[in-house]
Amino acid sequence: MKTGLRSLVGIIVFILLWQLLAVILDKSIIVPTPGETFGLFFRLLLSPATLLAGLQTAWKVLMALGLVLLLGLPLGLIIGLFEPLYDMSRPIIMVIQAVPVISWLSLVLFTWGRNWQGPVLIAFLSILPIAILTTVSGVRNLDKKLLEMARLYQVPARKIMHDIYFGSLLPFIIAIIDVSLGQAWKVILVAEYLCGDSGLGLKIFDARSFVDTPSVYAYTLLAVLLGIITERLIKMGTGRLSKLWVPV
Amino acid sequence: MGARLEVRSLCKSFGSLSVLNNWSLNIRESERIVLLGPSGSGKTTFLRLIAGLEKPSSGEIKLSSQQMGFVFQEPRLIPWRTVEDNLLFVNEKGDISGILEKLRLSGFAGFFPAQLSGGMQQRVNLARALLVEPELLILDEAFSSLDLPVKTSIMKDINLHWQEKHFTIIAVTHDLKEALFLADRIIILSPAPSVIVRELPVTLGEIRNFSSPEFLHLEGQLLDIVCSASH
Repeated sequence: MKTGLRSLVGIIVFILLWQLLAVILDKSIIVPTPGETFGLFFRLLLSPATLLAGLQTAWKVLMALGLVLLLGLPLGLIIGLFEPLYDMSRPIIMVIQAVPVISWLSLVLFTWGRNWQGPVLIAFLSILPIAILTTVSGVRNLDKKLLEMARLYQVPARKIMHDIYFGSLLPFIIAIIDVSLGQAWKVILVAEYLCGDSGLGLKIFDARSFVDTPSVYAYTLLAVLLGIITERLIKMGTGRLSKLWVPV
Repeated sequence: MGARLEVRSLCKSFGSLSVLNNWSLNIRESERIVLLGPSGSGKTTFLRLIAGLEKPSSGEIKLSSQQMGFVFQEPRLIPWRTVEDNLLFVNEKGDISGILEKLRLSGFAGFFPAQLSGGMQQRVNLARALLVEPELLILDEAFSSLDLPVKTSIMKDINLHWQEKHFTIIAVTHDLKEALFLADRIIILSPAPSVIVRELPVTLGEIRNFSSPEFLHLEGQLLDIVCSASH
């Protein structure tokens, strides 16, 4: 209760400072007032086109995250299990990790032009190294004594994978989702802005083209709100999974 | 029926460190053997060699059955699995409720390892080893972290189970009482690189009592042998 109240006070102080700045600058093109922004935000919320754009962005985020989990986890598991493979793939992973998002953006623009696949691919490439390296770290932290026990009792590989590997890696998988989700949102928005054909990023791009600063603020607010909602929903899911698997 | 074990000229080194030096040993079916020796004398290494977790540097180990249960020093239970699931992990078709009942764990099938005391975790470790219907039961300092009443109670359970199933037991310990309580024969080892210094048959009856004069006499005798073997 106390924490909630403090957060509310924080938000109110932030809005007051924003209002103060808008009044001092008196230039809606740079800083529109909170009233103007929120008014527009609620109007946009009721517009089907905006909601569709929000859903398109959220869908791309989830798709990038899903692809990363689908490919990154097995890859990380295999690389983590075989030391030579880790040594071989590490430079490639490092290169992918170090390539700036704008370079991927340029390549995607050259290859495909503006489309929905570009932002997904860029987000996928920017979070894939995190997923692989975190999974590798999970595999390396695995309790070797449990594996030895399983080997001694000649437990089938399927059960070892299910009961020991998955259970041990679960906290790492949750960490990957936590870290990747926020990053995926930011990257998708930037990618939509620069090479997308739909979504909130494109809406922000359009608003900027028409020098409609309040709309830029309102769409940003919507993106933040959707980001928070998605994160909460996914956290609820991972929390349940975690409790199901590791209840104590 | 218990497994039979033949060990011939067994040596084991880790790099330049020689641990086992030319061990030869025969263990009969259903015999209960306890290895007694100082730290670093290769007791656990020997058990790991039998279990196939290590390979000998030279010599050979012939084991008549691969059906073995291993009670580790630490319970090695899967933390995110219940007691029942931990048992199912090694044998899906085993009589889980039966073994839990015999080891007085009946009400704990749904508990997680972290919810159990050290003694109970060790009982689950034993239950897991017994669930595979072993012909050879290996105990690797299985009771070293437990207090005497818990230790005694688990050892009694093992003896009861042994009387019913007659598997072979190979145990290692530092504890003379534990050795005398469990063994038909005690093998005394020197410090590393260890050799078998002496074998002592335990002539106590099936029901053993820590405070009986025979037990105390044999304990004194064993202490003398162990002390001289350590030097």
